[in-house]
Amino acid sequence: MVAGLALRDFFHEWRLSLCLVLALASILAPMLVLFGLKHGVVTTMRARLIEDPAIRQIMPASSGRFEPAWFRDMAARPEVGFVLPQTRAIAAAIYLRNPAEAERAMVTAELVPTAPGDPLLGTRAPAPAGLDRIVLSQPAAAKLGAKPGTPLDGSLTRVVRGQSERVSLPLTVAGVLPLASFERDAAFVALELLVAAEDYRDGRAVEALGWAGTAPLGEGRAFAGFRLYARSIDDVAGLRERLQREGTEVRTRVAEIETVRSLDRNLSAVFWIVAAIGVAGYGLSLASSLWGNVDRKRREIAVLRLVGFDTLRCVLFPACQAMAIALFGSALAMAAYLGVAMSINRFFTATLEPGERICQLDPVHFAAAGLATLVLAVLASAIGGLHAARIQPSEALRDV
Amino acid sequence: MADAPIYRLEGVRKDWQSAGTRFTLDIPSLAVARGEKIALVGESGSGKSTLLDLLALILRPSEAASFAFQPNGAAPVAVGDAWAEGRSDALVRLRARHIGYVLQTGGLLPYLSVRDNIALPRRVLGLGDDGTVDALAEELGLKRHLAKRPGALSVGERQRVAVARALAHRPAIAVADEPTASVDPMNATRILDLFVKLVEGFGATAILATHDAGVVDRLGLRRLGHKLEPVDGGVRSSFWG
Repeated sequence: MVAGLALRDFFHEWRLSLCLVLALASILAPMLVLFGLKHGVVTTMRARLIEDPAIRQIMPASSGRFEPAWFRDMAARPEVGFVLPQTRAIAAAIYLRNPAEAERAMVTAELVPTAPGDPLLGTRAPAPAGLDRIVLSQPAAAKLGAKPGTPLDGSLTRVVRGQSERVSLPLTVAGVLPLASFERDAAFVALELLVAAEDYRDGRAVEALGWAGTAPLGEGRAFAGFRLYARSIDDVAGLRERLQREGTEVRTRVAEIETVRSLDRNLSAVFWIVAAIGVAGYGLSLASSLWGNVDRKRREIAVLRLVGFDTLRCVLFPACQAMAIALFGSALAMAAYLGVAMSINRFFTATLEPGERICQLDPVHFAAAGLATLVLAVLASAIGGLHAARIQPSEALRDV
Repeated sequence: MADAPIYRLEGVRKDWQSAGTRFTLDIPSLAVARGEKIALVGESGSGKSTLLDLLALILRPSEAASFAFQPNGAAPVAVGDAWAEGRSDALVRLRARHIGYVLQTGGLLPYLSVRDNIALPRRVLGLGDDGTVDALAEELGLKRHLAKRPGALSVGERQRVAVARALAHRPAIAVADEPTASVDPMNATRILDLFVKLVEGFGATAILATHDAGVVDRLGLRRLGHKLEPVDGGVRSSFWG
């Protein structure tokens, strides 16, 4: 019954109600935009950092000797996102030629070992499996005029006892990486092809490809290097320290990561200061306008007390109206926010990748904003109502 | 028990200040029998409204040696103690059940129809519709206004709505504070006559404040003794009877 009366009063005084709703929305909407920008910018920034594999890469500063056990141990660490052995740089080169494009130059591409889960490949290209599939970097593919499915001739050379030798192997392009992923001429291949190339270069036989040479190495082969990516940017510094302790000099982009992280921290601090002031102002303005609303209705509440409203009902009456104001105001503010956010995101489309947004709030943020508004509004009004109930009806009724 | 007075006040006092003047309302002794029709006659500022508010349980007395309220067969309620102990919600329930109040002006809720305004005390008490609202509307000539909002009515019509609302829940006591002060004389007479007639019909007790001594004889009311005297730095008003 109280709610019914309160809402009828709310709609009867629709002009004043509208004012309160608009006042609430006009403060809440900019707050939502502010939070949306903070959330969107920081999220996008972090996502870019985390998604950019280059910034998570840890490279050996010089070649070393890494046993299979070392790779097993690294792969098992939670802070490691991806790790793969890498052969000697000098052995990791292949000559590629597109037989269909006779006039094209031959390309000398570096061989890069890859496997499913390689952050450089991601979803952009399938990991090549077997000894005849390769993924090309964009520059290599452009020079060769190759696209997925193009057959290529690959060849390796070696010098054995002063004699220059050459083997060729048929290859098929399994995919081409975008330029942003890798800028040099490169062929991403399964590790076994890289190992075969190194064995051939060292004068050893490769049975699988029918290449002659000295007896192949068995298990327990050591590698000169590795391709290592931390799981997240926050893991880079720890991994670097660990490797340095083990005596492996590495190159990382910790300095860059630290710059971005401190920027994130400072930006967050600035945002929170502005937000704290905004939230405090919002709370005060909401509480005072609703308190004022209740104060204005003192005589009306006194009439209700005259016909027998007890304290609880006197508290519920303005609280119900506050609830209506909070709900309508929040809804209006959120609608305004969505409009503004859409314009902002559209304005920045050019600088954003698909799926990225500069102004973004998650459903949980809307829920939190709505709930906080509701609680604050109801609380302020309920206190106002309690205050009104404390005044003797006689005083409020005569006080015209 | 049925013959016990509905109100029995001894040594009740209310002090207040208005526009720099100190007022004191003294009720040395007052007893109101069930079904009685009481008139408080006095000039404006004589403390009539204050006494009505005290009797309607909406104003806290400054001092109450004894303030017994016995609206039904149950044991009398010590109103002074209830105020002193802060049991205002208990007083609200007593008022809602047993008292109907016609204010001098206003007091209707602008967002409710005339019918809903009249039925409001019944709804607060959770009483169903037993035809009282329609009967009162009929008696007071409000039938054709039931669907309207109070804002669409004349002052006289609004006061008739206020009378209907004060009686809708069939209270034991109907209190009216100069209900016709802002109504033209012909309408005023009619409204007061209707008020007293309806209260009589319900077997309720009527307490009417008025500045017009003429209505006392016409309506057969019992006029309370009253004295207004200047005291040191203020005014003292007394009612007794």
